[in-house]
Amino acid sequence: MNSRLNILKSILWAIVGVWAVVSVARFVRGLGATTNLSDGAPWGLWIGFDVMAGVALAAGGFVLAAIVYIFGLERYRPFVRPAILTAFLGYAAVAVGLLYDLGLPWHIWHPLINWQHHSVLFEVAACVMIYLTVLTLEFAPVILEHPIFKHRIFKTVYNFLKKATIPLVIAGIVLSTLHQSSLGSLFLITPGRLHPLWYSPIIYVLFFVSAVGLGLMMVTLESLLSGYFFRHKVDTSRLAGLGGAAAAVLSLYALIRLGDLAWRGVLPQAFSGNWQGNLFLFELGVSAIIPAFLLMAPRIRRSIGGLAAASVLTVLGMIGYRLDTSIVAFLRPEEAAYFPHWMEFAITLGIVAAFGLIFIFFVEHLRVFEHHDDDTATAKRYFPIPVEASSVRDFGQRSWRGPAWYSLVAIGTAAITLVFLPEHIRSGDLHRAESVSGVRTIEGLRLTRASQEGTRFAVPAEDAMAQFAVPGADPVLLMVIDGNRDGNLVLFDHESHRVREGGAGSSEKECGVCHHMNKPFDRNTSCYECHRDMYNPTMIFDHTSHTAAMGGNEGCVRCHRDPDAVKTADNIRPCYDCHADMVADGSTMIQAPPKDGLRWQAPGYRDAMHGSCMACHEKRMAADPEYYSAQFVRCDNCHNADYDTELRHLSPYATLSQAAGGE
Amino acid sequence: MIDSPSILIDVTRCTGCEKCIDACKEANDLGHDCLRPGQRSVDALSASRFSTILRKPDDTFVRQMCLHCLEPACVSACLVGAMKKTDAGPVIYDEDVCMGCRYCMLACPYGIPRYEWDKPTPLVRKCTFCYDRLKQGQLPACVEACPEKALTFGTRDEMLLEAKKRQRENPGRYRDHVFGEREAGGASVLYLSNISMNFLAWNNTVGDQPLPELTWNSLKKVPPTIAVMGGVMTGIYWIIGRRMKRAVQNGEADGPDSQATDTTPETTEMRDDS
Repeated sequence: MNSRLNILKSILWAIVGVWAVVSVARFVRGLGATTNLSDGAPWGLWIGFDVMAGVALAAGGFVLAAIVYIFGLERYRPFVRPAILTAFLGYAAVAVGLLYDLGLPWHIWHPLINWQHHSVLFEVAACVMIYLTVLTLEFAPVILEHPIFKHRIFKTVYNFLKKATIPLVIAGIVLSTLHQSSLGSLFLITPGRLHPLWYSPIIYVLFFVSAVGLGLMMVTLESLLSGYFFRHKVDTSRLAGLGGAAAAVLSLYALIRLGDLAWRGVLPQAFSGNWQGNLFLFELGVSAIIPAFLLMAPRIRRSIGGLAAASVLTVLGMIGYRLDTSIVAFLRPEEAAYFPHWMEFAITLGIVAAFGLIFIFFVEHLRVFEHHDDDTATAKRYFPIPVEASSVRDFGQRSWRGPAWYSLVAIGTAAITLVFLPEHIRSGDLHRAESVSGVRTIEGLRLTRASQEGTRFAVPAEDAMAQFAVPGADPVLLMVIDGNRDGNLVLFDHESHRVREGGAGSSEKECGVCHHMNKPFDRNTSCYECHRDMYNPTMIFDHTSHTAAMGGNEGCVRCHRDPDAVKTADNIRPCYDCHADMVADGSTMIQAPPKDGLRWQAPGYRDAMHGSCMACHEKRMAADPEYYSAQFVRCDNCHNADYDTELRHLSPYATLSQAAGGE
Repeated sequence: MIDSPSILIDVTRCTGCEKCIDACKEANDLGHDCLRPGQRSVDALSASRFSTILRKPDDTFVRQMCLHCLEPACVSACLVGAMKKTDAGPVIYDEDVCMGCRYCMLACPYGIPRYEWDKPTPLVRKCTFCYDRLKQGQLPACVEACPEKALTFGTRDEMLLEAKKRQRENPGRYRDHVFGEREAGGASVLYLSNISMNFLAWNNTVGDQPLPELTWNSLKKVPPTIAVMGGVMTGIYWIIGRRMKRAVQNGEADGPDSQATDTTPETTEMRDDS
């Protein structure tokens, strides 16, 4: 045991604790509750990182297998086992990540029976499934070397798998070539959405070549990390060989990418200075050009620092390439900005942490890394010989302190996560609160139309008002009804409505047609003060003050009439029994039927507005069909403010005089 | 049921009354809309709204709905065949097959399919051309509901002829283009309008090429890739293996220092696993 590794494991277990809690939230509450995905951004971090980048990061498996088994470069054999293990665990992690991202994960096996040869995604799924099987078979001999598999049957399986190595390796290379490239082909069908700097008709070539370069650098990074955490010597001379190959592959990738853009005439966009151009240059520099230059210098690629820098840059840069292609450079509707929810990060990190722990477990109990200063002699000897029992710690002999500490860490972080889970996860109420603001006012012109069909208003820019003073267009003060400030507004001529309801003289009686229920000690409560949410009903009943007003415990029965029944909201006296004076005769206010359970709640702002306006419009229309046309009850009778052309300066946050409301 | 049913949307006739939307909601039992994050307004397409009216300048109302492409990108994208182009024409969705990967939502050039994000067992939702109603010989609910005759139903050929006829008989009323005739390989829903309909597509552009062809260009290379990659790898393995065997034999004959046949000394070791 060493402290570096213990710290790493503690951190990984801490992340696993968070992951466990968020996993439950994900599967109980669904994608919408735990992610920031939307119809505008249907793919997010779980596809971009867990699948796209995950598969690419695991490319070292087939690259190293090809180098050693096919090209016979035996000196790289020590890297094969860690590379195969990374690939095996990487693809397993991809499968687990997919379970989170799929809407119906229990249908994940459906591609097995529904073959769709015209779907790139089917090809990817088929290749990944077969390749995961191949990787399992490729890695199985390492597991079977462990002393607990000493039965004859295991030996037979072991020998069979050893004989099948070459066919398995070739199958793995073919499958990897197919699906590494096809992950890029997925985006061929989105020419309208993927930015031209990333969209390419040969994107599959770019994905494949970049995966090979990334695979080599990932194996390098892993060797460096295992050297650090397991405190064994890093073989820089061999890593330098991999680094040289990576330099060539990464250069090739950069050349193809730039050449393809130049060929299609898109390259100038990279230097246009917009964020996509800058992102492209940054991504290509970090992922390929800088590491390739670093690795071309023999002195740098023989130093641990140089290798570390190049491999970290490539790994981060290529993750960036996958994320850019699938998320960042992908066109979304303007409003559907996507940044992952913290729970999305928790799941992604949790999967990485869990598979990191499995990786460490395998390294600790199986012969994955050559821990000694290996020369060619041990490398030659190393593969076929089963591990001696003494060289690995036995499963049963570990002290209890490790597991107890790690359990404590994981349970601790899980408990903390429980505390910080968002309210909507616990309550299951996924409706987003959409708060409402009061109306604003603006001076506009009333345009008289020849027909009686509705009224139109025009709002000229402020300084241009004078020149619009034409006959038939009078300046009026308009209320801008746009509760949630999304720009879909209704212009409302309050004064003419008031005059129509009550005549020219103000008796205040006409107010009650629309207005009802002021707040205590208030004379003109605005709509938005009770109808506080755009779509959802809001609780406005104040039980405490009612209890006080009714005289404490003695007063319960004044509302909860039945003294025997349990006092709930279902057996109360209607509010209007006492508050009848709050609603004027002829008011348009619609009282919710008791079964809706909305009696002490104010309906959503939109429903309140529609209810109030529409009820009256329909009543007028029925009373005088000669005068009003069908237009009078249609949406665009009121929703006719032409936001795009006339009212651009009424953008949601434009400064307008804030009306007190109701005036 | 008629073959290749089609809807002709006359944008110049639409008054934006939304009767079609109400009918659609009723026919598909869609219920109440609720705004969720990432949605522009509650009137945008959503899992509870298969179709909506886009309000454009100058009292122009454009109905947004699934165009039921002749060569649908969503169908070619689906890896399990949950999105299906029926023989008759409508593009329908089989919820029992869907995995929920949402690749169809990415693939659609018009951004039509929507997802039930807030459900633990979410489905992709989109207009089905009222396939069940069509099978019973009824009109799509929206066509039946339209009071302005902005929606006309018939076979695709009839609708194209009708569109051409209206363009001929009303010079100046329409642009000289029927949106959906050739876009992305053609669609079953056709737009006759006085403004450009390109805003319906991502980035305001949609070519005439069917999108499935783009991915097929890559997919048709799969069998040759298997053959070439498998063949080349087997060949290299065989050749290098032979050379190494010979090198070892030469080494036995000539002494341990002879590495004449190999460029790098490391490759002279005999492979010991096969």
